[in-house]
Amino acid sequence: MYPANHKTIFVLDHTPYFGISTESPLEFDFLKSRGQNLIPLAPVCKSLWTTSVEASLEYCRIVWDLFPTGKLIRFVVTDRAAYVLNSWSPLQQNLNHASIMNGTAILGVPTKTPEPGEDYSVIHGLRVAIETLNECSEIQHEKRTSLNENTNKLINRGRVICITSARDNSNMKNLENIFLNELAQENKNALSSDHLIPVDYCHLVILNIYPNNIESQVTSQGPREVSSFLTVEVHSIKASSLHSKLSHLILSHYDLASTTVTGIPMKEEQNASSSANYDVEIFHSSAAHTAILKGNPQDSALIKTFRRFEEGSEYETVTLKWCTPRGCSASEMQNCTAMYRITPVDVNSRPSSCLINFLLNGRSVMLEMARKAGGKTISHLLAAHGGEIFIHTLSTARSVLEDPPSISEGCGGRVTDYRITDFGTLIRNNILVPLKRTSTSNTDGLVEKMRSRLERHTKYWPMTFSRTLMFNLKHVYPLPEIMVKDELTTEEVLQCKQIIFSLLGLEAKHEALPLPNIGGGRGGKGVRREEHYRLLWDEIETFLKHHANNSAAHAEVLNCLLEIRNKDEKDKVELDQALRELDSFGKEDGTARVSVIRATTDSPMSPPASVSIPLAKQLHKGNIAGSKSLLDIWLQRSAPKERKPDFHGRISSEGLKAKLYPNLKEVGREPREAMLEG
Amino acid sequence: MPTVIALDVSLSMRRRGSMIGNEYSPNYESLTRHQLALHGINTLLHYLQVNSKLEFVSVIAFSSLYEIICPFTRDYEGIRGKLRIIDECDKTFIEGALHGVNNVIMAEWGNATACQVILITDGNPGVGPMSLGNSLNSLNSLNTQDATPFPLPFPYPGKLSIVCIASQQDPSLQIGLPLYQRLADLAGSDSIVLVPDSPLSKHSVMTCFQKLAEANYVSFQGYLKCGHLGSRILLSPAPIVMTLMTNIMKAYARLHRLTVENMAALCMLNNEWYGFIYSWADTKKKSNLMLTVLEPGSDIVPWLGNFSNLGPLDTVKSSPVSFPVRPTEKRSYTQNAPSWIRQVGLQSDIQKILRHARKLPDKTQNFYKEVNRLRRAAASIGFIELLEGLACILERECTLLPPNLNPDCTIQMGHVASMIRKPEFHELRYNIPPARTKFQPGS
Repeated sequence: MYPANHKTIFVLDHTPYFGISTESPLEFDFLKSRGQNLIPLAPVCKSLWTTSVEASLEYCRIVWDLFPTGKLIRFVVTDRAAYVLNSWSPLQQNLNHASIMNGTAILGVPTKTPEPGEDYSVIHGLRVAIETLNECSEIQHEKRTSLNENTNKLINRGRVICITSARDNSNMKNLENIFLNELAQENKNALSSDHLIPVDYCHLVILNIYPNNIESQVTSQGPREVSSFLTVEVHSIKASSLHSKLSHLILSHYDLASTTVTGIPMKEEQNASSSANYDVEIFHSSAAHTAILKGNPQDSALIKTFRRFEEGSEYETVTLKWCTPRGCSASEMQNCTAMYRITPVDVNSRPSSCLINFLLNGRSVMLEMARKAGGKTISHLLAAHGGEIFIHTLSTARSVLEDPPSISEGCGGRVTDYRITDFGTLIRNNILVPLKRTSTSNTDGLVEKMRSRLERHTKYWPMTFSRTLMFNLKHVYPLPEIMVKDELTTEEVLQCKQIIFSLLGLEAKHEALPLPNIGGGRGGKGVRREEHYRLLWDEIETFLKHHANNSAAHAEVLNCLLEIRNKDEKDKVELDQALRELDSFGKEDGTARVSVIRATTDSPMSPPASVSIPLAKQLHKGNIAGSKSLLDIWLQRSAPKERKPDFHGRISSEGLKAKLYPNLKEVGREPREAMLEG
Repeated sequence: MPTVIALDVSLSMRRRGSMIGNEYSPNYESLTRHQLALHGINTLLHYLQVNSKLEFVSVIAFSSLYEIICPFTRDYEGIRGKLRIIDECDKTFIEGALHGVNNVIMAEWGNATACQVILITDGNPGVGPMSLGNSLNSLNSLNTQDATPFPLPFPYPGKLSIVCIASQQDPSLQIGLPLYQRLADLAGSDSIVLVPDSPLSKHSVMTCFQKLAEANYVSFQGYLKCGHLGSRILLSPAPIVMTLMTNIMKAYARLHRLTVENMAALCMLNNEWYGFIYSWADTKKKSNLMLTVLEPGSDIVPWLGNFSNLGPLDTVKSSPVSFPVRPTEKRSYTQNAPSWIRQVGLQSDIQKILRHARKLPDKTQNFYKEVNRLRRAAASIGFIELLEGLACILERECTLLPPNLNPDCTIQMGHVASMIRKPEFHELRYNIPPARTKFQPGS
């Protein structure tokens, strides 16, 4: 929960001694082969300072490549005093940020002429390192100030990596004691401060480096628990081995593992026509290997090899073979169980950049693991996403997802007339894309907004063709698409009205509705045709009512429909409402529908429950609705309307309903006019 | 989750387990422990057949050795058939049996699949070298380096259920129970020891297995919601609950059926916890929805960005979006920053400068770009020695140039050699500008 690698501080020795040469000559004069009479150039050696800056920056490179957030590193340079190069702020946690590189550049090479009387020492840096550990990182600050009950459980762990050079072991011991005392002292100070936090645990790694031509009097010491809150380890190494030591230590500091991708076919630099196989070593979180290393021990022994370093430090690397990418069918795909960022160990080498560019260009590489029993298994995949390269751990074992049952065997059962194409449109209309982060306040409610949008799009959305008329009719389009928008233009309102009028026109011409999906196209005459239109108008009304609250323009479309219908058949609405309630009475579908409508529109005048009953059933002869003759309808219409007062009683009740339909009480005939105001 | 049933087939399992009434009474029952165990297994298989058809089950029989009676299968009838032909063998060796279980599971499912292990024995831990007590004792001794490690805890997420087909009053069970409990503790993950109720009978064994099945194979039901659309769903296998916050999964899914669109729906499992739902079809025209549960949090998939920054396509027509989402900082491998930790890196950087130098004045820009890149990198790590080295190599290069090269080569190289030694160019901000010569464009 609170790992020691959350906060790391490099303390770099910048005292005059660090200006001396490592005495490890670099071969940069590669022109020697050009001729005999060439004046040989003096070899170039890095100073101890250059070596320590370079190695610590390389450490950062690896950490920040693999963990862009949450793994913080700060630099403290020490000579006469301590200089802090960067802060815990995430903005200063990358090598592109000017603070670190500028800082080392400005400080420059350690002075050769120390000021007399000044105390050049690494102690200054160590003291400041402890102080910086006492400062909260942003994550820590958040945890600390959150009103969560776990607040007081924040554990402040950290690591100090000090690159210095001590005279002998007693000198080193002294350093260690000073650090321990300072740590205890600073913790006391932190306790009495509001914004500082005491260090609960510190891991001090001292890297004692010395030029290649010197024998150091300091001996290496493994990790020792000096106190309950301090562990110290000392590595005494030649300066030229500093980098390999650090890249070894980093594995345990961040729980990383190494993979060597072997057998990468590459054209040779000098001879483009021939190609040879190269290896590239990468680092990544060790968890990428758990699957293969915890598996068959014989297999894991086979793929583990050791890399040996000069100083006797060695680490394991897992060797996986490059598989030339080829097409792969879905059935051959393996499940990806985990994914981690990678970084090449040798970032600018030709094989590394070759592999990196291959991946960044959008291609992926399968990695093959050899098996003891013979044969190979593809165990990993390297691929780039958004300019970052990841290793994907693939499942090599059998999957429990094998042979799943068809969805039609599940809860919903088998349904054949889903509105699949329409659903596709719904999907396309609700595709999510990453939005630019303009301001934090802007994105806060985005998830909520998206959900309400989706709710709006599905307010009235029959799942199957048999439960809808309007979505079966081309004439109605694009009314549904327009109405689900959150705002309508005047043109769109006009377009919707035109659609309604053209349907009205069709009805007036006694044209049958073409309803291929529910077999309504054939013989749509007489009662059947009228019934279709009646159901259609009802459904459109239901649909429009669901969206009437979106905006005033939406309500305008609904009102247009209501006006037309009221003009034509004045009493019909209430009567049909009553009839339909009767019809659906006792049917489970119908009751469910009514409750849904109540919930969404809150009106007893809500649209009829016609759609609740599967249309095919309704149209089927012998069914109550379908078998009604003209006479039946006429009789029912002219029957006394006892049920009506009942409605008024309910409507005039106190509360929201009364507000929504104020005219209803006075006129009783034009209740829908009130919708706008509501 | 896959299940291994490890059945003890030692001789002691053939002892009489239940004795109810006598052969003249109507409820007469006289069964061996082995027979009782088979009734138990059949109860379990029956439960799976009805409630959890997708579970893979394997049966291994063990004594001092183990034998795979039936590899992993969903054919429960087939398993029943094979149960009938199990022979009795020598003595119980539980450690060996667990090794066998691990081998079977690791070979089939690897280390990432959660599995159920049901170990059925007679409650007698035995004595001597292969006894359970001996196994557990050897666990404490430290010289386990040469031997294979103890099979518990399981190398995969596993739950161990130990069923002792023994009468509660059985004296050897009283000795054995603490040892079995120890095994269960070692296995972790709510592992348990079960003993059928007294008196031991076909009925009590079946009840015991019924309870075991009900506890271990709970189907995961949920409700998938997409706006006003919604459907009940069944998740199989049930997701392993990792955090405390999972009570009932409410999925606000974007979509219901995605077969046609080749798309995936982002769904919300809980506050700040997301998953993906997508269509999954095999070759046999069966399609299904698959749920991928992501780790809790809203910034889980780097190239999608934070999920709270996702929005509908049509509202963003004005502001261009980049997909995939790129990190704010470039990674080191895309930056081409110098790296001189290895000699080769240094050599190739110098080589590049010399290559451009020979093509001056055409390559003036490239030449100075490379020179300043090296200069900046050297200055930032205090590698002044390299700048002096570069000056020397450029000066020597001037003397080695073939006569037919442009005189600007010599001029520019000499210019750089003298400038790069000046302390002001050891600061990052000042780039060395090209020397103005009549060969330079614009002169």
